[in-house]
Amino acid sequence: MLRIALLRRPVVVALGALAFAVVPMVANPYQVYAANLALIYILLAIGLNIVLGFAGQLAFANGAMFGVGAYATGLLRLDAGMPFWLAMPAGAVIAALTGFLIALPALRLRGLYLALATIAFAQFAVWVFVHWDGLTHGTSGIVLKPVDFAPLTKSASTGLYYVSLAVTIGFVALAWNMLRSRIGRAFVAIRESEHAAAALTIDLTRYKTYAYVVSALYAGVAGSLFACVVGAVVPEQFNLFQIVIQFCMVFVGGVGTLWGAVIGAVSLVWLQEALRGLQEVQEFGFGILLLAVIMFFPGGIADFLRRRIEGWQEPLRRVAPDEPAAPQRRS
Amino acid sequence: MLLAYLLSSGITSGALYALVAVGLVICYRTTSHINFSHGELFMVGGFIAFSLHVLWGVPYIPSLLIAVVAGGAIGLMTDRAVYRTLINAPPIAMVVATVAFSFVLKGIGRFLWGGQGEFVPFPPIADPAPVEAWGIAVFPQQLVVLAGALFCMALLTLFFRFTRAGKTMQATAESPRAAYLVGIRVERVYASTWAVSAALATVAAVLMAPLTQLTPDIGLGLLLKAFAATILGGLGNMPGAIVGGFLVGICESLAGGYVASSAQEVAAFVIIMIMLLVRPTGLFGERGRREV
Repeated sequence: MLRIALLRRPVVVALGALAFAVVPMVANPYQVYAANLALIYILLAIGLNIVLGFAGQLAFANGAMFGVGAYATGLLRLDAGMPFWLAMPAGAVIAALTGFLIALPALRLRGLYLALATIAFAQFAVWVFVHWDGLTHGTSGIVLKPVDFAPLTKSASTGLYYVSLAVTIGFVALAWNMLRSRIGRAFVAIRESEHAAAALTIDLTRYKTYAYVVSALYAGVAGSLFACVVGAVVPEQFNLFQIVIQFCMVFVGGVGTLWGAVIGAVSLVWLQEALRGLQEVQEFGFGILLLAVIMFFPGGIADFLRRRIEGWQEPLRRVAPDEPAAPQRRS
Repeated sequence: MLLAYLLSSGITSGALYALVAVGLVICYRTTSHINFSHGELFMVGGFIAFSLHVLWGVPYIPSLLIAVVAGGAIGLMTDRAVYRTLINAPPIAMVVATVAFSFVLKGIGRFLWGGQGEFVPFPPIADPAPVEAWGIAVFPQQLVVLAGALFCMALLTLFFRFTRAGKTMQATAESPRAAYLVGIRVERVYASTWAVSAALATVAAVLMAPLTQLTPDIGLGLLLKAFAATILGGLGNMPGAIVGGFLVGICESLAGGYVASSAQEVAAFVIIMIMLLVRPTGLFGERGRREV
């Protein structure tokens, strides 16, 4: 195990946050845009990891929630004339409410049935985005004006970037605290065994609902930022490929680890931007990557870091069969 | 008249959904996993037949047979590359892996046979003019499809009832451990299951290609229709899946004719969601037993 103080997690996290904070001062507008996308995908990957990696529910609805958040914010700004400051939280809340509505039927389903129902729901959502012309503007989608940050900064993209950064840091901190609290422990207990969790008087209905709503909230926040950063919302952005990218992030980073999701999101956004010129290989590339990670590196990057570098253990992680039980922190 | 037309086209596409659904069910019964790349197996099989028949001028029947063999080979590949590696992994890994594999196949399809939104035409194998039968106009192509699908289902029934391979598959579906103990080579059964299931998807694709057009994006929509069929019949119930397939075909055809043409695409999702909420065991499943 490497014992280098510089590689300890708090140091890496602080340096990462600092790097994100200085991006608009040193980078060109395209790089700012890409960094902003990375922030958005951090939120998405954490949201998916909460429901998939921590609560163990195989739900494919995250891409649809992302779309609901993006459409809600976009339409509130465009058609209802709401300012950004109001439309963004409103979009996130609408996505979280949709997540609650999804949770009600999804609570009854498990495993393959849940996967089937949520894939059908994801496709249904795309169909609604395309065909409810009166509300969603159909296949042509919606185009938004840049958000005005006039007194603070001249550049809309810089202003939006710092909003995204603040929101992302806030939500990462929220997730880090939540997952180490009673709620996070309940999620993991449900993932490991619903019967055992119920025997420990964990209210399955309540905590599963939390998982769906929190995950939808993260996806909704990400969606509302995405609508404003990209400036356009079209249905194809939220198809099954969207969810495959998110799965890729979670699996590459590490299922059931918070920092893994963050690392996975940043590295895959970087990869996707590097492949921008090669649109046609993206499906193949992400498919192969996801397949390879599941088959050969099921722990992802987080597992690698944890094994090699001291200070990357996370509480509540799943213990791999080939290692002894988690060494507790020596105090 | 409209009703008759809608019913005939619904039954035709229903027969194909039933074939695809039966492939899913065979795979599910034996391996207890759902193959989320089944729709892409369909797509690749259809395109292989397209290459043979349209691009290289091979007659229809030989191209069908070659495509079926090739489809079966891709099924074997799925078994080798994905299923066997993950046989002991948690079920989530298997689902996500087959979803990922579907994107790999879709990427290959796009690379070889055309990009987003491109459709390739497949010439009809029967006279395109409709014929009159009992006062209903029927396209001969539809009859060919229906006959082909029914023939395959009959063949499959015979396969399960009378051949050794079919019986070992059923035994493995019943209990892999017991099958292993009586000397069935379970791994081989898994391999042949994936091959048979993929071959069925290919047959459906080659039958369907002349009716619609092929595109690399055809897989997911078809997969969801097949899911709807399997869930209507009860997951793992083969006759149920066949009935379910016809029901899905008829439902979506009626929805397209009487509600709105865009409702046709969404019928399958609505069926899946309603069925899973109301009767997850399917139309024919017992009420008490729930494995959901």
